[in-house]
Amino acid sequence: MSQASNPTQQRTFAQQIRKNYIGWLFIILSVLGISLFYFYPMVQALLLSLQSGMGSTLEYVGLDNYVRLFNDPTFITALTNTILYLLIQVPVMIVLALIFSVLLNDPTLKFKGFFRTAIFLPAVTSLVAYAVIFKYLFGNDGLVNDFLLSMNLISQPLNWLSDPFLAKITIIIAITWRWTGYNMIFYLSALQNVDKSMYEAAKIDGASAVQQFFFITIPLLKPIILFTSIVSTIGTLQLFDEVMNITSGGPGNATMTISMYIYNLSFEYTPDFGYAATVSYVILILVVILSFIQFKVAGDRD
Amino acid sequence: MREKLSKKFGLLMVALVTAMVLAACSGGADEDGGDDTSEGDDAGITAWAWDPNFNIAALELALEHYDNEEFDMEIRENAQDDIVQRLNTGLSSGTMNGMPNIVLIEDQRAQSFLQSYPDAFYPIGDYFNTEDFAEYKIAPTSFDGEQYGLPFDTGVTGFFYRTDYLEEAGYTHDDLVDITWSEYVEIAKDVKEQTGQAMLSLDPNDLGILRVMMQTTGTWYTTEDGTIQLEGNEPLQMALENYKELLENDLVKLSSDWSQYLAAFNSGNVASVPAGNWIAPSVEAEESQAGLWRVAPIPRLDMEGAVNASNQGGSSFYVLNIDGKEKAAEFLGETFGSNVEFYQDLVQEVGALGTYIPASEGDAYQFENEFFNNQQVIHDFSQWMEEIPQVDYGMNTYGIEDILSAEIQQYLDGKSLEDVLSDAQAQAENQFK
Repeated sequence: MSQASNPTQQRTFAQQIRKNYIGWLFIILSVLGISLFYFYPMVQALLLSLQSGMGSTLEYVGLDNYVRLFNDPTFITALTNTILYLLIQVPVMIVLALIFSVLLNDPTLKFKGFFRTAIFLPAVTSLVAYAVIFKYLFGNDGLVNDFLLSMNLISQPLNWLSDPFLAKITIIIAITWRWTGYNMIFYLSALQNVDKSMYEAAKIDGASAVQQFFFITIPLLKPIILFTSIVSTIGTLQLFDEVMNITSGGPGNATMTISMYIYNLSFEYTPDFGYAATVSYVILILVVILSFIQFKVAGDRD
Repeated sequence: MREKLSKKFGLLMVALVTAMVLAACSGGADEDGGDDTSEGDDAGITAWAWDPNFNIAALELALEHYDNEEFDMEIRENAQDDIVQRLNTGLSSGTMNGMPNIVLIEDQRAQSFLQSYPDAFYPIGDYFNTEDFAEYKIAPTSFDGEQYGLPFDTGVTGFFYRTDYLEEAGYTHDDLVDITWSEYVEIAKDVKEQTGQAMLSLDPNDLGILRVMMQTTGTWYTTEDGTIQLEGNEPLQMALENYKELLENDLVKLSSDWSQYLAAFNSGNVASVPAGNWIAPSVEAEESQAGLWRVAPIPRLDMEGAVNASNQGGSSFYVLNIDGKEKAAEFLGETFGSNVEFYQDLVQEVGALGTYIPASEGDAYQFENEFFNNQQVIHDFSQWMEEIPQVDYGMNTYGIEDILSAEIQQYLDGKSLEDVLSDAQAQAENQFK
């Protein structure tokens, strides 16, 4: 404390304030932007989630909407479906992406560029366009059925889109196709930074390719795996386009997701924006909880 | 030097931030005052509708028939879903900026808009005579004693069928007139047995066919006072039994979207299409089948008071309560609301059938359509239209159908019909209090 009264110290303190002031000016723009476009709508949405009514005739109902959630079978169906997609699709996709990235990272592989592009390409196609194409592929007279029939794997066309179980599978196949390449790119770039000498050393010690994969690649990629699984989790919780365009949530809500339910509450049914906001807060809460768990489970070092 | 630079930079930043905050504030002020800006007065009228071959074409034709040099209207094509989304977001935000003057809304959705956004629509009952229109269109387009919509597209249904398939199964046109849905199912079985063809194509996500069946008795998912009536709703129960019977006996070709639905009858894979009259252009699109089709009245449910006439997905025009509303209402009133000649051209040029009753006297309605075996289809439709029982669609048709469609899956899997309906009732009551 006594040192602060020292004149030289004081000058640097004043300088520091000036320096901070400029720093704050830099930050204030983004702070303003973020508050205006992120926090303000978030607070508004929270307030909205405490209201209920039709269209613009909303009134405060306290926590009624949150109570309604637990008695709403459609919401529970949508939540179960979404979690099911999450539990099946995210691990499958991440494992696939890992395998692809390791294979494509092999220095002896030819046409690497071609394969990498080919696998990444789905991630840059338009969501709606690919969903529509999947719809045709999996239609009753679609290519998939034609192929399976010609291979004698099935005796009559499968109702991919109108059978509750198969429709879910179709959605899972679609999102896996779209997002695997995207995740693969993260792994590939991370693998570029892995020191090759580690693999050489392991090889000299007699480690097989599989052992190298499990004991070198995976531990080194752990932070990236964490990142991709969080991003995929968030993405899957917000899943909308595919379901909307391939099955429109059907048959009979069998493929409905939470986002789709929010859309229906706002635009398909008589609009109840209050309740729709409540349901969107559920996604937020889920994202927070799941990300927290993933950090706890996998992120111990970082 | 460095000091100076940073000072300048600081000033710049302050200026930027102020500009941003000011811009944000003024933006808000603009929105609030949006309702009563005067620019709407000189600006032309805008209209939103979907389907360029049908509704938009009808609007353009109306514009040609409208005798007013000063009237200037821009017609914008918007998909129906987009209109619903834009109206909902626009109206709920309280700003009328960017809203159209005239908008087409499906009858089954109209009440949810009229009741959710009081004062957003302009009553236009003074601009035309409601008695000139089919009665079943009035309830869904009015609210609280005021007429808000100008009834347009009828949605009257017909039982389009392939004469060749039905003859092969041993049926003549007279056998198909004024039948019940259970008779339809029996005919479907014969057709399947004799020709191997499915009787109709269905998208399991779309419960339109149940609504068509139900409305033949004047019943809906809700009563007139808005009470949800799924449990103990006999017409619905009977409709579901027919639906299950059709599916279980493999009399249906399943389709998962609109184009597959169309392809089913265009490629000759189904023997009939029970649907709204608006399906006619799609049936006619397959020229190679000319002369093979005819239309019979839609089957009715096997109940007291049921008629062989129903409705599927009609729509009507609405005027928003913003500047230019009088002009817009006058335009609608003098074209869609009263012009018999316009309706003649509408039938001939666009093939669209309005619900304006005096128009059916005109010559255009007597036209013999070669595609349908020289049947006077337009005339027949306009006759059936007048018999359609009125129902009150209420607020929640689509919400209830989503609940119902999940329950129907279980019904098909063997759950009892009573349980299906009582569970759906409980769920709907919980959701749409």
